Amino acid sequence: MPRIELSMSGRPKSRRGVGIDQGTTNSHVAYMKESGPQVIRDEQGNALVPSIVYYDTAEQRLLVGEEAGERLITEPRKAIYSVKRFMGKGSADVQEDIRLVPFQIAAGSEHVIRFQMGDRQFTPPEISAFVLRELKERASQFFGEEVTQAVITVPAYFNDAQRQATKDAGHLAGLDVLRIVNEPTAASLAYGIDRREEALIAVYDLGGGTFDISLLRLREGIFEVLATNGDTHLGGDDIDNRLIALVLDEIKTQKGRDLSRDHKAFQAIRKAVIAVKHDLSESESATVAINLAESGVAYQREISRDEFERLIADLIEQTLGPCKQALKDADLDAAQVDEVVMVGGSTRIPLVRRRVEQLFKRQPHTELNPDEVVALGAAIQADILAGGRRDLLLLDVTPLSLGIETMGGVVAKIINRNSTIPASASEMFTTWVDKQTGIDVHVLQGEREMADDCRSLARFTLKGIPPQPAGLPRIEVKFLIDANGILTVSARDVRSGQQQSIEVKPSYGLSDEQIEKMLMDSMEFAEEDLRKRQLVEARTEADTVLRASERALAERGELVSAEERERIRQAIAELQTAIGGEDHRLIRARIKQLDEVAHHLAELIMDSAVLGALKDRKASEVAEG
Amino acid sequence: MAEAITNRTTPSACPHCGAKSEDVHVCSACGKILPLAADGDYFSFFGLPRKLRLDESALETTFYALSRQLHPDYFMNASEAERQASVERASRLNDAHRTLRDRTARAGYLLGLAGYKEAEKKAPPDLLEEVFELNMQIEELKAAKQMSDEDEVQEARAALEEALDGLKDKLKDIDARLFASFADWDALVDRGAEEREGQPVLDRMSELLSHRSYIRNLVRDIKEEL
Repeated sequence: MPRIELSMSGRPKSRRGVGIDQGTTNSHVAYMKESGPQVIRDEQGNALVPSIVYYDTAEQRLLVGEEAGERLITEPRKAIYSVKRFMGKGSADVQEDIRLVPFQIAAGSEHVIRFQMGDRQFTPPEISAFVLRELKERASQFFGEEVTQAVITVPAYFNDAQRQATKDAGHLAGLDVLRIVNEPTAASLAYGIDRREEALIAVYDLGGGTFDISLLRLREGIFEVLATNGDTHLGGDDIDNRLIALVLDEIKTQKGRDLSRDHKAFQAIRKAVIAVKHDLSESESATVAINLAESGVAYQREISRDEFERLIADLIEQTLGPCKQALKDADLDAAQVDEVVMVGGSTRIPLVRRRVEQLFKRQPHTELNPDEVVALGAAIQADILAGGRRDLLLLDVTPLSLGIETMGGVVAKIINRNSTIPASASEMFTTWVDKQTGIDVHVLQGEREMADDCRSLARFTLKGIPPQPAGLPRIEVKFLIDANGILTVSARDVRSGQQQSIEVKPSYGLSDEQIEKMLMDSMEFAEEDLRKRQLVEARTEADTVLRASERALAERGELVSAEERERIRQAIAELQTAIGGEDHRLIRARIKQLDEVAHHLAELIMDSAVLGALKDRKASEVAEG
Repeated sequence: MAEAITNRTTPSACPHCGAKSEDVHVCSACGKILPLAADGDYFSFFGLPRKLRLDESALETTFYALSRQLHPDYFMNASEAERQASVERASRLNDAHRTLRDRTARAGYLLGLAGYKEAEKKAPPDLLEEVFELNMQIEELKAAKQMSDEDEVQEARAALEEALDGLKDKLKDIDARLFASFADWDALVDRGAEEREGQPVLDRMSELLSHRSYIRNLVRDIKEEL
């Protein structure tokens, strides 16, 4: 039936929350349906969005996902992939990665990476935001409402800076980030949602760029993480790099050509070996065939699964150490684990499944699509946060110990790893010299003894301490790790009871001012997208309104006068003309006009429904409308 | 570190409705979460007396029940004040649970409440000679490893492994004595005599804890070297 209440401002804002898994390689968005969590697909039925962003320097235009992926080979220097590996890092952290990718980082990237794209620079949160915006748009189109609330997942082993960078990306994409959730924990939700009996679960998550292991106890709907461990720099990308190195090496020895600096050749090889890697999960052998017309190199060779496994065996072994450490931290034997859940595309590799099976002495679960399960879990968490259900609760932990630097560069741990979050610790600080008015504090994350070996999170200064003899002031600093795993710091002068002013300088990442500026900058890309989207949406809405009005006229037109019917027909004709044009504002205006003239008829139809003049079936339609 | 030892759980008026709540976490009148008072300790947060022997499975049950009441997940659409109260209460809950579920952490926390400084790692007197010997053996093993002298390495390793077993026995002994003193403390609490007569028991626990952490460190160092 006609639903002729419309807003002029485009899509209505949705109160719905979605779950987003932004992977190193591919990203997904999912929502909670009554029947269970569901991944949102595009019109072609694709569930994934490749996490690739292409920036056309000449036209200052952005492409995201599949379209950007097509440019990887033709214009490799302008397409950014695996951005997740750069989140929350500085140039010193990514020396090795940057050698392996064709895109470049700009000078001044010590605290935040800046990708150089022609005359413009983009930070990882900005690139990540472009992908998030694509997912947001997909969800909004699906619901016909502006989706803004999202749960975004991160590797469990992500540190504070990496989490903050992810949250910043969500903010830049125009999302209200309800929660940052750990990927393996989200996956356990998707697997355990209907489970009521108590169980110990291990989630082994080997994705495109990161590895996590999490051990959870499921009891009475509570998903309690007991321990987590991992490596934020180990995944499918590293496996690809082994194969690429093999091919480059053989081309060099067989053909005498060094293609390691040839970016187009590199991307072509990369594409070919990824296909071979996928094949080898199904077949015992596969063929790498590369024909580089521009370089005049043709290369072909067969690779058996055995050879592939030998090539990557040590990478897979590297995942077992964290598994054993997590078991030790949780005070568990591998044999006590009831179920093992496999997450991430790299767990399709038979060697990975074998090694995990050997460690836990049980066959791992692979029922759910390992690429989609994290997004599904995130959708469940979004539903919990929206108040949809109170029977489930995630109790997650902080993956790394939090400490402060003390005398001699030694780290004093104040919140140990695997502490359930939110978690807090209070420390008392005082002055060393008379009349000292400020105290410097250095906060770190990591397990090592010395500050130099841990990850610096932030430095801050306790300021405005009243001048007093040394040792007399007592400033209590409260460190709080929230449910996102992100640290906040507050300070209080114990004697006066007053809040102490505090100025935190994050060691890595963006300041609030930088984020605000980026938000402004991103508008230029948003404008063109917006125009296109508004037109599509206005037309869709016009279609719906037209169909409803025509039906109302045909079925119940006699409720109004002939004159009124004529006015409605006139408005219908005008809207039809507007749809043929490109002006979404005109379409909206014509929709409004039709809405106004048909309003009376809609009211009468509604009234007659309420009075029971309509048959039951129609009455229910009216009620739904 | 020293907090007031009085166990203050007397509720003040609920800031949401003004009623005197019977529950410490959530207002019994209006059902809203209460802000966290600064003077509560971990025992009172769980509604427990300051006793050291506690029913660990009951602690887990309470932890789950309170998590369901206080977790920030359930306050996303609440007022700013309630959201803040939830984060503070949930973090206190987790901090308290982490401390109380572990016997030695629990004892250390009680000592902190009574004004004891964090236990310094101190070698038990009857172990001083052994410790000296052990450090020599560790050095010998290091030297043998450096020289790649396989026989020496084997010999030093065997000696250290034997010493390690001895230390583990020692730890068990300390734990047994520590837990025995838990019973002594709890008996005092039951009689309401802990303020007057508690000091010797607390002193004993403090010493045992410092010996314990010393030996554990030593065990860790040896394991690293083996």
